[in-house]
Amino acid sequence: MVKEIDRAGIPVTHICTVVPISLTIGANRIVPAVGIPYPLGDPTKGEKKSHEIREHLVTRALKALTVPVDKQTVFEEDF
Amino acid sequence: MKLELGKIHIHDVQFGEQTKIEKGVLYVNAKELEAEVLKDDRLAGCHIELARPGESVRITPVKDVIEPRLKVEGPGCVFPGIMGKVTEVGKGVTYCMDGACVVTVGKIVGFQEGVIDMSGVAADYCPFSKTQNVCVVMEPKEGLETHVYEAAGRMAGLTAATYLAKALKGMTPDETETFETKPLLEQIAQYPDLPRIGYIHMLQSQGLLHDTYYYGVDAKQIVPTIMYPTEIFDGAIVSGNCVAPCDKVTTYHHEHNPVIEDLFKKHGKTLNFIGVVLTNENVFLMDKERHSDMVAKLCEYMGMEGALLTEEGYGNPDTDLMMNCRKVTQHGTKVVIITDEFPGRDGKSYSLADLTPEANTMISCGNGNIVLHFPAMDKIIGTQESIEMQIGGWVGCKHEDGSFDAEIQIIIASTIANGFNHLCARQY
Repeated sequence: MVKEIDRAGIPVTHICTVVPISLTIGANRIVPAVGIPYPLGDPTKGEKKSHEIREHLVTRALKALTVPVDKQTVFEEDF
Repeated sequence: MKLELGKIHIHDVQFGEQTKIEKGVLYVNAKELEAEVLKDDRLAGCHIELARPGESVRITPVKDVIEPRLKVEGPGCVFPGIMGKVTEVGKGVTYCMDGACVVTVGKIVGFQEGVIDMSGVAADYCPFSKTQNVCVVMEPKEGLETHVYEAAGRMAGLTAATYLAKALKGMTPDETETFETKPLLEQIAQYPDLPRIGYIHMLQSQGLLHDTYYYGVDAKQIVPTIMYPTEIFDGAIVSGNCVAPCDKVTTYHHEHNPVIEDLFKKHGKTLNFIGVVLTNENVFLMDKERHSDMVAKLCEYMGMEGALLTEEGYGNPDTDLMMNCRKVTQHGTKVVIITDEFPGRDGKSYSLADLTPEANTMISCGNGNIVLHFPAMDKIIGTQESIEMQIGGWVGCKHEDGSFDAEIQIIIASTIANGFNHLCARQY
């Protein structure tokens, strides 16, 4: 799906838990998520912290959409 | 570490007043066995049914399959840390009920539970269509949480196997095999001219009903470790998972790990089988990175020249598989992967979710997406009501006459990714 959205000319960020798979299938903008059981949060840290993690990752993913890339790029850190 | 496996051949199973083995027939006192299983207060009911090869019988939804084994000499018990105290196993003498299995079945736990047909076309795809099966049909207490039901089901199977195994006491084995692995330095010195080969055994540990236990420890809590190969024959590893049935490594498959069995056959002849590295398949990328690093380190440390590598399940564990392959290769050990494939019904999609250039030697155990027609059976042990939900099925796959269509991934062990079954794929 990521590849097809890209192919249609719409920038897309893949928020994903297993980055190597995303690299193998050919996503261009990748934001690593927390883990497979809870990609966008962490219930072990409580509801408030979990929400912060979610907002943080989504913000980074949205920002990644605005960055031109010429190769597969993993946005590991905030920028 | 040296283990003798004494096999007592079973060619029929019958109900009887006493649980015993006589002239190759296993007699089961069903009431006694049911009472043993029902000591678990998480279960509301249990009854025993028998299924033999060739009968018009379907067993579903199947959770686990176990071969009853009994420790006769040496320390520990079969299924250490679960059915008895934690003691190192893998040495001494163990008896096996060769040809008979416990099959746990009952209302669905997760969606990844399978089918065993005792006859018809689907029987060709399942190793347990050829065994004498003692089916433990369980009913969970109302309102039992899913993970608690899974634990109760797992224990019911192990309890039943332990109960039946008592019948092996005092028997004379029909066949005996001896397996030995020496401490590493001695093992390497024993066959200095043969290639040093190991086995990297990835245990399913995704959690959420996808777990495996090593000496009673949940495998997602381990870091990679070294195991003497014979430990596995004494039930050191137990399945607790609801993985796609086709490549579910049941407890039976751990007891009969085909890679270990086959490496022993060639041990001292064409290769020097130096040991097993156990690792897991966790759901956090950091775990995958750390544990594949450690696997590579252990292989290098052991002086392995070549390794066979297997996984359980598919999807994200394919990443663990590829990371292990890449890093072990880069540390100087040649790797051959044994796996199954899911390239879609037309075979045109990627077979695995992840890849690496180092994965250049692979053995395929077949395509799990192939669709098969499952004919109606005279008798169902368990229930067919969940077939559409079980992986491999789909809404509308069931027909009024009791037959259904499904991908062969619904069949227990049809494409099991350690080569236990007979399917394979060839490239021309």
